[in-house]
Amino acid sequence: MALTSVEAFHSPADKASVVQLLQKHEDNALIVAGGTFLHGLASRGLLTGIEVLIDIQNSGLDNITINTDNVVIGATTRFAQLETSQEIAQEAWLGAVKDAIAYPPIQIMNSATVGGSIASSCPFFDLPTSFLALNGAAQAHGPDGSRDIPLEEFFSGLFENSLAPAEFVTAIKLPQPPANSASAFIKLETNANDLAIVNAAVALTLDAEKKCRQARVFVGGGMGETPVRASAAENLLTGAVVDEDSIAGAGEAAKSGVDPISDHRASAEYRAAMAKVLVEKALRKALARVD
Amino acid sequence: MTQLNVVGKSVVRPDAYDKVTGGKHYPVNYSLPGMLHGKLLRSPYPHAKIVAIDTSEAEKLPGVKAVITHADVPQNVFTPVYFVPAHAKSMVQDFVVMSDRVRWAGQPVAAVAATSADVAEAALQLIDVEYEELQPVFDPEEAMKEGAPQLHDNAPNNIAKAPSFSFGDLEAGFAEADHIFEGVYQTQRVHTCYMEPRVCVVDSETDGRITVHSSMQHGFGLREKMAVALGIPESKVNVVKPTYIGGGFGGKLDVGHIEPVAALLSLETGRPVRIEHTRGEDFIATTRNPIKVYLKTGVKNDGAYTARYIKSILDAGAHATHGAEVIMVHGLYGTFFPWKCPNQTWEGFSVYTNNIIGGGYRGYGAPQGCFAVESQNDEICEKLGLDPIEFRSGNTHKEGDPHPVLQGHTLNSYRLDDCLKKGAERIGFDRRAPANSSEGAKKRGIGFACHPLWVSGCLGFPDIYEHSGATVKLNRDGTADVVSSCIDLGSGQITMLTQVVAEELGLASEAVRVVYADTDTAPFDAPTHASRATYSAGLATKAAAVETRNRLFKAASAVMEANPGDLYLEDGKVLVKGAPDSGVPITEITARAESAFVQMTEEGPRLTTIEEKGTIIGSASQAPPSNPSPVAAQFVEVEVDTDTGEVKVLHVVHAADAGRVFHPKAAEGQVEGGFQQGMGYALMEHLQFDQDTGACLSSDFLDYKIPTSMEMPPKIESIFVESNEPTGPYGAKSMSELCLIIPAAAIANAVYNAIGVRVTELPITPERVLRALGKL
Repeated sequence: MALTSVEAFHSPADKASVVQLLQKHEDNALIVAGGTFLHGLASRGLLTGIEVLIDIQNSGLDNITINTDNVVIGATTRFAQLETSQEIAQEAWLGAVKDAIAYPPIQIMNSATVGGSIASSCPFFDLPTSFLALNGAAQAHGPDGSRDIPLEEFFSGLFENSLAPAEFVTAIKLPQPPANSASAFIKLETNANDLAIVNAAVALTLDAEKKCRQARVFVGGGMGETPVRASAAENLLTGAVVDEDSIAGAGEAAKSGVDPISDHRASAEYRAAMAKVLVEKALRKALARVD
Repeated sequence: MTQLNVVGKSVVRPDAYDKVTGGKHYPVNYSLPGMLHGKLLRSPYPHAKIVAIDTSEAEKLPGVKAVITHADVPQNVFTPVYFVPAHAKSMVQDFVVMSDRVRWAGQPVAAVAATSADVAEAALQLIDVEYEELQPVFDPEEAMKEGAPQLHDNAPNNIAKAPSFSFGDLEAGFAEADHIFEGVYQTQRVHTCYMEPRVCVVDSETDGRITVHSSMQHGFGLREKMAVALGIPESKVNVVKPTYIGGGFGGKLDVGHIEPVAALLSLETGRPVRIEHTRGEDFIATTRNPIKVYLKTGVKNDGAYTARYIKSILDAGAHATHGAEVIMVHGLYGTFFPWKCPNQTWEGFSVYTNNIIGGGYRGYGAPQGCFAVESQNDEICEKLGLDPIEFRSGNTHKEGDPHPVLQGHTLNSYRLDDCLKKGAERIGFDRRAPANSSEGAKKRGIGFACHPLWVSGCLGFPDIYEHSGATVKLNRDGTADVVSSCIDLGSGQITMLTQVVAEELGLASEAVRVVYADTDTAPFDAPTHASRATYSAGLATKAAAVETRNRLFKAASAVMEANPGDLYLEDGKVLVKGAPDSGVPITEITARAESAFVQMTEEGPRLTTIEEKGTIIGSASQAPPSNPSPVAAQFVEVEVDTDTGEVKVLHVVHAADAGRVFHPKAAEGQVEGGFQQGMGYALMEHLQFDQDTGACLSSDFLDYKIPTSMEMPPKIESIFVESNEPTGPYGAKSMSELCLIIPAAAIANAVYNAIGVRVTELPITPERVLRALGKL
């Protein structure tokens, strides 16, 4: 089923105009940017009643800003822009972002946006898992101005998030971690433009003795309605030397903590087994990136 | 082989520029003024009777011009497959365009024509259908059991067709064996994934004649099936040949629903009607039939076959259509005759289920057979410690042997041993390590498979159309036009035809154009399928070009006052043998032929000859003389991640005997494209259905995964072992389907070599690999 109910397409030049349109059209409006998921959602009957498309690509939201305490990536920043950003490429702690955008083909790289990957709130997307591991927050703008919503609160269900009426995502904010931090992301997919069958992202901070000061571990892709935090794995790692033993323990803990779905792409059993394998692989990859 | 000027060279494809700049001649881009748009309402139930349909609300919707149901469709029962007569004895007649009995989820039950596709779609929601649900059956072996729901009245146990072949003494053969191997090999339902959807525009005249534009593989087949479906004479149907189509791969070899329905809607409204499938509709329009192969083979210690028993159960889906023929080809050319075994029995069952209807797909039953037999051959060699290449060589045919299927024909060109040898050398087969011997989580393996018998068309198969025709006309500007009904699916038929004509008429390939054709004006051709176009259409077009050349020489002999038998062509000139300075340009002969007898010149009137006058044209229509077998072997190196089960193909070597290679670049393209489809079949593609409702779980490429360029192996090498097929055009025979028949078996064998465990069910998904490894 195509987007047959669409009657208007807007391309506002600033955030205020976006909010006005959202206020006017309420649930009948949909924000679009790269549009890479639009057909997939529409053809599954998930966009019925959408009458107005609001393209925010001309709203000035495609900047990458490196601050001392955080990195702010504008919502309409394309994957290709991220890939070519020297700042992102150089930072070991942003490895999980770099990894996630290395999977899709050039067509997706050139179209898909960071904001879209968050706002879609699809548990099979990749950047959300990475951003969760990096303790990111969505910057939302609405009638009452801007606010930051930690991603763990932002994702509230399958294609659902905690944006208030007439709010939209303007950026993703990633806090600068302490020194000796690194992150990594791994994905299982069937082909290069597949949604994740399973994905995993980890972020590690080590102390001077190479012990883990802090770990964040997330698994996505059919693990639940949102990517799932592997708290048990994090607890196991924190304070421990990150080696093959603790990595195996963390993998096992991640597996025990998930209750994935079975669908035509993979069984729950396989997904759970892969939660372990991918967490372990991601930990090894992140560890290798810590200075 | 004789010296050739155009054939054998990678000439520029005449359609390439057009396609990369938008391809305006794809049928999907065709439209007519005043055209309506049709949509089909489909049953949500896999098995049901229609009790009532109320279309009154739909008819009231503004913009709706016509609504039809089964009550408006002639209940003519026929075989919708293009390449056989509609009532062929060797096929099963069980199909009507719309019926009050539903046998698969998605079967069309009503149709709407409206001023836009959106209005038509909206109108579908207003049609009220009352169904009486019936018990469905989805598994063919369940369907064969007593007490299973019966799909068709005249098919007890849902068996649409049960052919078998046998020779020798099976029992004695197994008794003689030193070892007996048994296995079950299961393949899945996949789609050809042509990029252009099934689409048609049908227009009608007040006298009932209809004109059809469609993306399909056989104009004459469509004409015949339209006539039968609608109950009108063939001469009332004109099918316009598409300049090219956006892929078919066998998936557009039958009239489905859109063309007859569009015709009925056009006849009712008096306006042209266009219907285009969505990708979701295409997924349920055609599929490669899944086949389960039970295989038992007896061998001597030295690897010689003593006996083989094969039972193949094909899931035909709701109607037998292609399923009645796929089972035969699978038996004959997929499992039984490719290999030399003295005592063999094959039993095939084409079984009705409430799944979607099967269709054509390159290889037509052979990939399923090759996967089974070559997987087991690999097991035999592994278990008995035999050289796998010598084993294949010892159990297959040799050049000069009688053709194992076609009585009175010989395997004139047959270089399987060369393919095996050269392929093995190129990939470095002698460095292959024993199974499961590489260190670490990522394990590498090398495997290969071959297919020792295939076709260059369908000569010898009961009821299948085979003849081809062409008309070739020389123009005064030194170019030639070719009228041919051979449809280019994207695989280069246009280029091939221009090469043939250019070769025969001494022209550059750019000087030859394949032009408009339709079923009213052009000679018959069978479909572009079964790897037959170069062999059959190539030969017929060559014969037409020879006629044209003879006509040219007749005119030239008058102009040049020479004997036609002493003339020859070179560089666009007609020359007299032994007098290389005698040349007269073809353009001059053609101009003289197409001009007045008396010509006014500066010097006054000049008389020419009556004999030289008339268009330089030739035509031919003929059946091909034989059905030579191409052969090929394919070697593959893979890497298996034993943690995740992922299989990555690293290197492919495809060695083929295709006779003379017409166009080396296009031939390599066939190897690479065929491998891409074959790798999808081996590793990821699987059209899945809800086990309760029968609904297809794939509506687009988000769900149905095919290999993209990013999954393709970094290295694919093509080796062409050129032989000279004496019956073929310039020594050519076929090549294309083998490129897709072999990969699944080759990849499966390479995966075995990597991990030491065999996966006998396709696709070899990461999950199946892990299960095979005992990790799940």
